[in-house]
Parts: sequence; structure tokens; C-alpha cells
Amino acid sequence: MTFLGFARKSAMRKPLRSSLLIISVAITFLIYGLTASFVTGSQGTAGASEDILGVMNAGGRGQPLPLAYLPRIAELRGVGEISPVTRLRGSAGDARNVVAVSAGDPHRLMAVSGRELGLTPALVGALEGGRDRVLVGRALAKAQGWTVGDRITVTAFRTKKTDGSRDWRFEIAGIFDGAHPSTDTYFVLAQYDYINAARAKDTDTAVTFALRPEPGISPQELAARIDSLFMNSAAPTRTLSEKQFLSAFLSQYTDVKRVVILVVGVSFVTLLMIVINTLVFALRERRFEIGMLKTLGFRRSRILYLILTEALFIFLIGGAVGLGFAKLASLATPPALGLVLDTETALRAAALALLLGLVAGALPALSAMRMPILSTFRTR
Amino acid sequence: MTNSNSDQPFISLTGIAKTYRTGTDSLPIFCDLGLSIAKGEFLAIMGPSGSGKSTLLNLLAGIDTPDGGAIQIGGQRLDQMGEGGLSAWRAHHMGIVFQFYNLLPMLTAAENVELPLLLKPLSARERRERVAKVLDLVGLGGRGRQNPSRMSGGEQQRVGIARAIVSDPTLLLCDEPTGDLDRKSADDVLAILNFLNSELGKTIVMVTHDPEAAAKATRTLHLDKGVFVEDVQVAA
Repeated sequence: MTFLGFARKSAMRKPLRSSLLIISVAITFLIYGLTASFVTGSQGTAGASEDILGVMNAGGRGQPLPLAYLPRIAELRGVGEISPVTRLRGSAGDARNVVAVSAGDPHRLMAVSGRELGLTPALVGALEGGRDRVLVGRALAKAQGWTVGDRITVTAFRTKKTDGSRDWRFEIAGIFDGAHPSTDTYFVLAQYDYINAARAKDTDTAVTFALRPEPGISPQELAARIDSLFMNSAAPTRTLSEKQFLSAFLSQYTDVKRVVILVVGVSFVTLLMIVINTLVFALRERRFEIGMLKTLGFRRSRILYLILTEALFIFLIGGAVGLGFAKLASLATPPALGLVLDTETALRAAALALLLGLVAGALPALSAMRMPILSTFRTR
Repeated sequence: MTNSNSDQPFISLTGIAKTYRTGTDSLPIFCDLGLSIAKGEFLAIMGPSGSGKSTLLNLLAGIDTPDGGAIQIGGQRLDQMGEGGLSAWRAHHMGIVFQFYNLLPMLTAAENVELPLLLKPLSARERRERVAKVLDLVGLGGRGRQNPSRMSGGEQQRVGIARAIVSDPTLLLCDEPTGDLDRKSADDVLAILNFLNSELGKTIVMVTHDPEAAAKATRTLHLDKGVFVEDVQVAA
């Protein structure tokens, strides 16, 4: 038996009580793991690129930019590839079954974000096989049960066609997987020319221009130059990286990070109260034992380590179990939910478990350390 | 009262004063108590409740401190040691046997015995060998993996003795070691203590109410109201 083995057995002396404590810790770390994964993933921002820039109307997402901006941007030094992008949102079948369609120039889009989206020349070739052909992300195809060759109809919420209909019919030409498991693939990739020609409003405009800077060019510096180019025009631009855009988009609704910090903070404080209270009460039952150990020659510092190690054991086991379940959840849920439990989050959780274990164990450990032997023997 | 049989006593208490104070009340226990115990002696201390037996044992164990006087054991002044020094001294030089065994229920018998060895720089193998040896010595060879709660009182006390001697201390303090046992078990425990004293040379100080237990000792002191009133030495 080692000292750690002794601490482990000590921590599990009352299996039911210890198990309940470990479950409490596990649930709290599950909450932490899920919320932190959500912030990390932020519905696709983990897979979003820092290098791909999007040029949007500074006036807001609802206002498109003229297509005439494209050659002016393309002429700027440092701009590699650029594609116009327009979007429509609608429902497929059931009105609550919301589907997003992004439309771009197939070849240009392949050059800009083909690597991140996992586009291949074969997929792009299949897309170009017909104007109404689309590529569907793996997550969306899986969720809808769509396969290559299916014909689908997306009823747009706002984007009307020239014939007055809002039904956009597409043929699925292929399915793209995304380069990374956290890449958002819950959308349809259509062709800009088809949407642009068929829509009743906003013809020859783009919601955004997606571009990839040339190698060695700073995206931030290029973004500043693009925005300064259109600073005094009728439609000033705001250029953000894909990641910045998604984060800004999410923060329009709520400050997710702040909510997460609040929820997790409250959970951890509650957990600490419960564990400290339980450990302090448990220590009262062990006063005689502490005195006995001191009589055997265990120094005050040994007693301190023992109680701290017991608290750490509960937090590390509980934390590992909670994070394990959070990881399973992040793997089992569709990428569209945006749960990404990365190494950084796991390491942060481990550090948190260590810190909480020390904090929770500090009070009972100091109390045990200071117990005079004689007073512990009087408890029997 | 001192033992004049030895020029250099192993344990020497001189001028010990001890008073317990609670608020404005004070309860004097010892006033100028003296005691000498030779190395290898098996001393039984008897006396009525409140006579100071347990306080004396606590002072010898270094878990209580005198208000005055000197306690010297094996050439070391316990009354001048700090808490850390006393812990180290207990870990290396003293073993203690409790009346109610005080075994940890979540540990096996062998693990209970091994506890004091966690404080020593020994390998796992060395610890296992020592534990097996002392369990054999107390007649519990092969029972190490058993949980103490499944043992009889006598067997638990033997585990307690094994734990007390596993560090090979020179001094063994026993606080009513047979107080919770039936006669047969008590005799078994006393036989082990006798063996430890006579064969292994352990110095034993035993507090007891049991005259039959005291009869096994080589010397019996009777304590009453903080004063030794009788010192009976048994010829070898």
C-alpha cells in the first residue's frame, strides 16, 4: 500500500457518500464540458478559418454589396482568390425544418475555402453539371436523409424568384465532409449564377465576398485596406475573418461566453459548498482516526496531504468522468450543434478540478492538521 | 519513586507537574512525580479511575506535555521537543496499543499493520516482508488480507499489536490492551506482550485495571491521586 493508495481507500471509506460526491462533481464537469465545448465550437467557429476573409456591408447583414465591388477588391495587392456569396434561408418539407443555402462561384469558392470545406475537383465538377445542382454538407445530408441524386425543394423565407414563387428546387450533386470534424457542414452549397439569375430582388449583389489572401499577406492588414477602399462609398464595407464573423454573429443574440461563465461559476460554487460541507462533516467522524494516525507518527503535514489528496481524488475522478461524458456528447451530437471538446478545454478542466479539489480540501485538511491529539481522543 | 536497579534508566521522569484547567477550574493530576524505568522492563501501572494512569501514558507517548519537570526516554528530552520532533520520535521509537484497537475499517489487516511503515523510506517489498513477519509473530500469518471487522476482538488486538511493533520500536505503550477482551483472548494478547518483552527486549509500559494482566508484568506500580503508592518488582 502506498500513501496514495491509503488516501484513495480513505476517500472511499463510505462508498455511497463518496460515490454521490463523485457523481456531483461529474455532473458539474459535464455541464462545464458541454458549455465550454459549445463556446469552443460556437456552432462551427472552431472549424472556421482565421485566414478566409468575408467582406460585408458595414450597414448590416441585411444589406448586400454590389457585385461591382468584386473586381475592385480582386485588384488589391495581396488578394488571392475571391468569390461572391449570397445566401438564402428556408425550410425543406416541414416549415420548422430550417435549411441554409450558401451560393458562390464553384471554381472561385473551391479556391477560397475548398480546403476547409473538403471540396474536391470531382465534387466541383459534379456541381457544375447543371445550374440547379448543389452540394450538401455531410451533417445536413445525414440529418435529412438526403443522398446524391435526390431532388429537394427549399421554400425560402424571404428570397422570391422572378415568377413570384419562393420554392427553390435543387438536385443534389454531391456531399462534402469538411476538413475537420468541427467544420460546419450543416448547409447547402449552391451556384451563385443560378440564384442570382432567378431571384426577383437584389440581383447582381452579394451578401459577402469570400476571399483568401495571398500567402504571406496578413489577413488583418488586408481587411483594413479593403475597408478603407470603400470607406467613402455608398456602401462601406466591414471585412472580418470567417471566425470573427461567426463570433460576431453569435454575439448579436447573446454574450454566450458570459452566460457560460455565469452558469459554470454558479455550478462550481454550489458544488464547492456541497463538497466542503460533506468533507467537514466526514472529518468529524474521523477525529479519533486522525489522532490515532498522529500517535503513530504522522506529522501535521502528512495529515494535511492525506485530506487534500482525498479531496483531489474525488474531484479528479469526478472531473474525468464528467469530461468523458462531455466528450462522448460532443462526438455523438451533430457538428451543427457546435460542440467541440478540444485539448485546451480538457486541460483547463483538469486544472480546474485540481484547483477545486485543493480549495474543497483546504478547510478540512487544515482543521485535521491542527487537531490536538488529546482532543481527538476525547471524542470516543 | 525511582528504580535504583539501573544507573542509567531508559525512561526517566523527574519533577513532573500536570494540572488540567477548564475555565476557572483546575484539576491537579501530578505534582513532582518521579519515575525511572529500566530498558527491557515490563511495567504495569494500576490504579483507580482518575488516578492519572492515562495522563502518565499520554506524557510518555508525547501526546501531552507536562507543566513542569523533565521526561527523558532513551536519552532524548521529550518535554523539550516540538510537535514535529515528537511525531518523528513516535514514528521511530514508540509503538502504541489501544484498548479499542483503533484499526481502520477500510483497510485490510496487513494494510493496517503497514500504516506506520508509510513513514519510513522502505520499498514496497520491504514493507510487505516486515508486515508478514509481525503478523506471523502475533499468530495471524496468512490472515493479512482479511478485513479487521471480520475478526474477533482478540484477533483485532493482535493486529493492533502487530501495527505497534512493525516499526521495531524500543518502547511499547499499552492502554488497557485487554480491557475489551474475554479472558482467553486477553491471555493470548498478554502472552504476545510477554514474548515481545522477554524475547525481543521491548520495554513495555501497560496501563491496566486487570490484576491478571498486571501479574504478567515484571514490575507493577500502583498510582493513586497522582502519586505512586506501591512498587512491586517480580523477581526474574
